[in-house]
Amino acid sequence: MTFFSRPAAWPGLGPGRRSAAAIALAGTVLALIGMPAVAQQQTLAMWSHWPDEASKRSFIEERVKQFEAATPQCKVNLQFVQKADLYTSVKTSVRTGQAPDIFWLEPDEIAFAKSGYLEPLDKYIDLANLEDWAKRAWTWNGKVYAMPQEAYSVELYYNRDLMKKIGVTPPAGMQMTQAQFADMIKRSVAAGITPTATGVGDRPYPGAYFLQEILLRKLGTEDYEKLLTGRLPFQDPRVIEAMTWVKQLVDAGMFPRSMATMKLGESHYYFHTNPGALMFPIASWYTGRAFVAPEKGGQPKDFALGLMKYPAMDGSKCPECKTLAVGGSYVMYARSKNKECAGKMLSSLATVENGNKWMESVLLQTGVRTDPSRITSIYAPYFKELQERGAGARYFIGTPLHYMSGKCGDTFAQVLNRAFPGGLMSVNDAAVQMDAACKASS
Amino acid sequence: MSDPSSGAAAAMRRTLASWLSAPEADSRRASLPTVMLFLAPALIVYAALTAYPVLRTFYNSFFNVADLASSEFVGWTHYAEVFKDKTFWAAVRNTAIWSVIGPVLDVVVGLLLALCLYAGVPFSRFLRVAWFTPVLLSYVVVGIMWVWIYNYDWGVVNGLLRAMGLGSWAQAWLGDPRFALGSLIVTHAWKWAGFNMVVCLAALHSLPSEVLEAAELDNCGWWHKLTDIIVPMLWPTLLNLYILAFIGKMKVFDLVWIMTEGGPVWSTETVSTYVYKRAFNWNTFDLGYPSAIAVVWFFVVVGFVVFFNVLFRRRERMEY
Repeated sequence: MTFFSRPAAWPGLGPGRRSAAAIALAGTVLALIGMPAVAQQQTLAMWSHWPDEASKRSFIEERVKQFEAATPQCKVNLQFVQKADLYTSVKTSVRTGQAPDIFWLEPDEIAFAKSGYLEPLDKYIDLANLEDWAKRAWTWNGKVYAMPQEAYSVELYYNRDLMKKIGVTPPAGMQMTQAQFADMIKRSVAAGITPTATGVGDRPYPGAYFLQEILLRKLGTEDYEKLLTGRLPFQDPRVIEAMTWVKQLVDAGMFPRSMATMKLGESHYYFHTNPGALMFPIASWYTGRAFVAPEKGGQPKDFALGLMKYPAMDGSKCPECKTLAVGGSYVMYARSKNKECAGKMLSSLATVENGNKWMESVLLQTGVRTDPSRITSIYAPYFKELQERGAGARYFIGTPLHYMSGKCGDTFAQVLNRAFPGGLMSVNDAAVQMDAACKASS
Repeated sequence: MSDPSSGAAAAMRRTLASWLSAPEADSRRASLPTVMLFLAPALIVYAALTAYPVLRTFYNSFFNVADLASSEFVGWTHYAEVFKDKTFWAAVRNTAIWSVIGPVLDVVVGLLLALCLYAGVPFSRFLRVAWFTPVLLSYVVVGIMWVWIYNYDWGVVNGLLRAMGLGSWAQAWLGDPRFALGSLIVTHAWKWAGFNMVVCLAALHSLPSEVLEAAELDNCGWWHKLTDIIVPMLWPTLLNLYILAFIGKMKVFDLVWIMTEGGPVWSTETVSTYVYKRAFNWNTFDLGYPSAIAVVWFFVVVGFVVFFNVLFRRRERMEY
């Protein structure tokens, strides 16, 4: 006797009606069994920076579309948000369980992982597909917490035409000596050309790019790391020597007077279009904004973009040193209710094939392993030049703000990013303020 | 067993009955349930959006709050740190300068504009609208606009100075600690001058005309008419405007954040921007310390409100 034929269970029903009821119930049960397939469909919330960087935005949108097509049970609600707003929103929402499943961060926000808000990705993505240095940038307590989509080196772009105009020919190795560089700054100022376009109005770091690269070369990687972690004072004679030289360049007119309020996007325009500057010390993500149509803020089609190495001061310990850093990365929220899909989404990004596509379409490094031999692009000459500038480099991983936090990071932003290059502070004052803030926090 | 009709229980029943029954003496008075019915929505909104956040901030200030679910009690530690925090004191100094000087500028400019309109300058209708328009603009728009105006290379201010042959006076107005705070105060005054103008103009129109006419009959000059008659009669209005502006400037945030983010070298940092930075911009998730700053500043602002109320012996409750 089966359950469905028990008369007590079906009082008042004849055999025919019982069969119909049994079929209906069976159908309902089957439907309910079948429902989980529908119920399991997850919609991920994913927040990314780069709303106004067309190439990066397109790349992510395309990867999401491909992921949705290949994984029908996962949908992605992708939103692009400006970095500052994104940080404010996620810092508020992680505390209350309202953060998106996947969001964009840079390694200077490793505090998210330390506070337990991020899910380790070790079991979700193939870590063999990530560069070792990129993994290190996001490692905390032996776990990797982000998919390092973007990586960059700190470069010194220049305008070849303006360089010719002031009568300077870069040396064969593309690295000037201290004297050559100082002379170039003087010539540029004398010709009425702003030597470097830099804007710190909406970013806490671009004003310090030049000084940080000089310090890295002067000190070498070990002592430079000690400096950034408060174990070597800014009042060290070598640091003072480097800062004194940079201060001389500042006083000679190296930076634009409007630097304090100029925003990052405006500094791009300042460099390549109006009024035009000789150099642009910026990370290699320059291409994200520059290689779009001029009417969308990109550089003119005939712009003579060049890349040179940062100068090395006389007696530099490591003239071949250079900063390499992980930039925009994607992390998974620790309290995500859709971890399976979120893991698959991040895993789909972390492939060599996608690493190549990123380099090819965005023209920027990535923390995902790549196979450069497969990369082709209309910007291949630029990419070739970028590789040449990195040839033989000894890389230091991370920028100052990846090492500094709290009061030290705030002092870096106010003093070395803004006041010192703005000519508002003496070498000694800047060093004393940095030591007071950073040695205390170390 | 006690008599249920006597004693405390009966008294309570009678009180409850009197509350719940319709009032006998004045039929216009609503019963408590009716009053509560109408008050409840507002009370709920007030409790959820004002009272709870304020109380929670007080509570949080005694904890290290990395996560709402797991906080670490630290007692008065944050308060002890606040008073040793140099950036906090720089923010207090800037906020104090702004709160004291800014309202004077606001009120004086507003009064002057109102006097112009009151005197019937040409195009006064147009000017009234034009001068009031900045009040309608958001801080975001005003901030971005004035960043351009102050720009060293192409800003209007430096452009005018250069056009007048005063190019050596051109400055990076927001990039130099000596000028940045003053530049922000001027921008703020520009935005609010129209509001003060409208209030002053209304007050001017309500002045008794016989007093002004008598002054004119006595051949009183315009300066004496202004300083000896108009300003003294407008004094309560001007004072109220000053106090309103003072309290508003103790909390100033938006304009500073958009134009300078507190820089350069903390020269425009205000208490509000510092609280925001500590809560959301530093690489820390602790909400306890910024809560402690907010609580300290809350009592400072409340203290000034009470002080002004006592000082000017106002009978009416002031609304801010």
